[in-house]
Amino acid sequence: MTDNQQVPFGSGMFQGQAKFVDYAHMNQQDVQMNTLDEPVLDTLLRDINMILYKLSYVIIPRMKETQGRKLRNWDLWGPLLLSLLLAMTLGINSNQSSDSIFGTIFIIMWGGSAVITVNAKLLGGQVSFFQSVCVLGYCVFPINIAAVLITFLQSYLGFFLRLIIVGAAFLWSTFSSLSFMSSMMNEEKKVISVYPIFLFYMFLSWFCIFI
Amino acid sequence: MLDNLNQDVSILQPSLQMTDSQVQNRIRQMKMEDPEEQTCYQKFCNLFTIEYYREYFDVTTELVISKVVNSFNPFSGTFFDIGGGIPELYGPFWILNTLIFTVALSVNISKYMQLQPGEHFEYQFQIVPFLAIFMYLKTLIVPMIYRVALKCVSQDRLTLLHCFTIYGYSAVVMIPVSLLNSIPNPAIQWMLLVYVLFAQTSFLTSNFNQELKYMPKEKKYMIVGLVAVVQITIMILYKFYFFSSINYQQLGLVKRKSHNHILSHILGAN
Repeated sequence: MTDNQQVPFGSGMFQGQAKFVDYAHMNQQDVQMNTLDEPVLDTLLRDINMILYKLSYVIIPRMKETQGRKLRNWDLWGPLLLSLLLAMTLGINSNQSSDSIFGTIFIIMWGGSAVITVNAKLLGGQVSFFQSVCVLGYCVFPINIAAVLITFLQSYLGFFLRLIIVGAAFLWSTFSSLSFMSSMMNEEKKVISVYPIFLFYMFLSWFCIFI
Repeated sequence: MLDNLNQDVSILQPSLQMTDSQVQNRIRQMKMEDPEEQTCYQKFCNLFTIEYYREYFDVTTELVISKVVNSFNPFSGTFFDIGGGIPELYGPFWILNTLIFTVALSVNISKYMQLQPGEHFEYQFQIVPFLAIFMYLKTLIVPMIYRVALKCVSQDRLTLLHCFTIYGYSAVVMIPVSLLNSIPNPAIQWMLLVYVLFAQTSFLTSNFNQELKYMPKEKKYMIVGLVAVVQITIMILYKFYFFSSINYQQLGLVKRKSHNHILSHILGAN
């Protein structure tokens, strides 16, 4: 359509510059061409920005539900990177059985997230499966920090200091995921849907103490 | 724009309030509930939807907490009166997971406490899958045994799900006991074992007794006796596998045997 062309529309005329995009008949390929055209660095940077943005939500947990709206664009890159980092950190430090630890942590993280989400859905929560898996995966970040800290400062930390660091990380993780998860459930079912999350992070934290 | 459409239409015909998609949804809903109209998928794959299992998870926080508190009381026999005696699977499942976590933790702690100064502590988590399998099998099979026994005495008020529920909640006593079991003192360990055996068995028997009140004596004692025997067997297996120093040696983790364990005195090993 060129400029200043008059096009009949409804009971009047449509005049001016416009680009007619036929969303009804546009197929998936057309949409993807737009992101395929851009340089690879752009795509990567966009994904990395998304991950960092969500991590900032985890680090500074916000109790108000409205501020967490952007978390609803779930992605699984973040949980994947975090679970790999955690599994590798714990695997490096164990001399005997590093491959089985890696596998165990990986399975527990993903399997645990899936089980907790299914539990929330069964209790009647209005939670989307992948959103919940995404949030639970991102909230493992504080435990990751604790594991890396303990790895680097291994000889300087006694048992009780480790306990304190890991305890703080565990409370931080649980608190971060609380605001998202408990907003999905009824008042009377909040505690029983949050308790599995508590158990899940405690299980992961105990691995960190015994590095 | 659809809202405007609705308003325009409703001026003309006030009864047509629903949009097209709402009408479609309603038809679909009615079709799902009509058994003749169900598609093949809905008839056979209903097992794989979440809605099918939702009725077994119809619990609130208060209900779960009151059931847990009740299970610490071995004599009351009022477990089936709470919340109308509706069976549920939330409690047993999560209590089981908590128990697995607690026992794995306490096995590691007890090993850590028995560590001699020169040894490096390597945490043992290969025990977790084995422990998980043991606990899950136990929780699946024992209620089935109860249900079969109840069927033999033709008591049909307690279904299989009721058996699952009560067996799951009876395991709550083991959670604090497992934590305390990590103390390496053998006298304490045996006392805790006796306590948990007594508590669990009497909880189960008093509840079954309550339900079977109107049956003739022989049948009642048979059921109650079966419950007690199965419990004792499982407890003994649990104790001698997970909390004995022989186990640690087989796993090759602690080089020196602990002197304190009572089993070594019994077997006369050095």
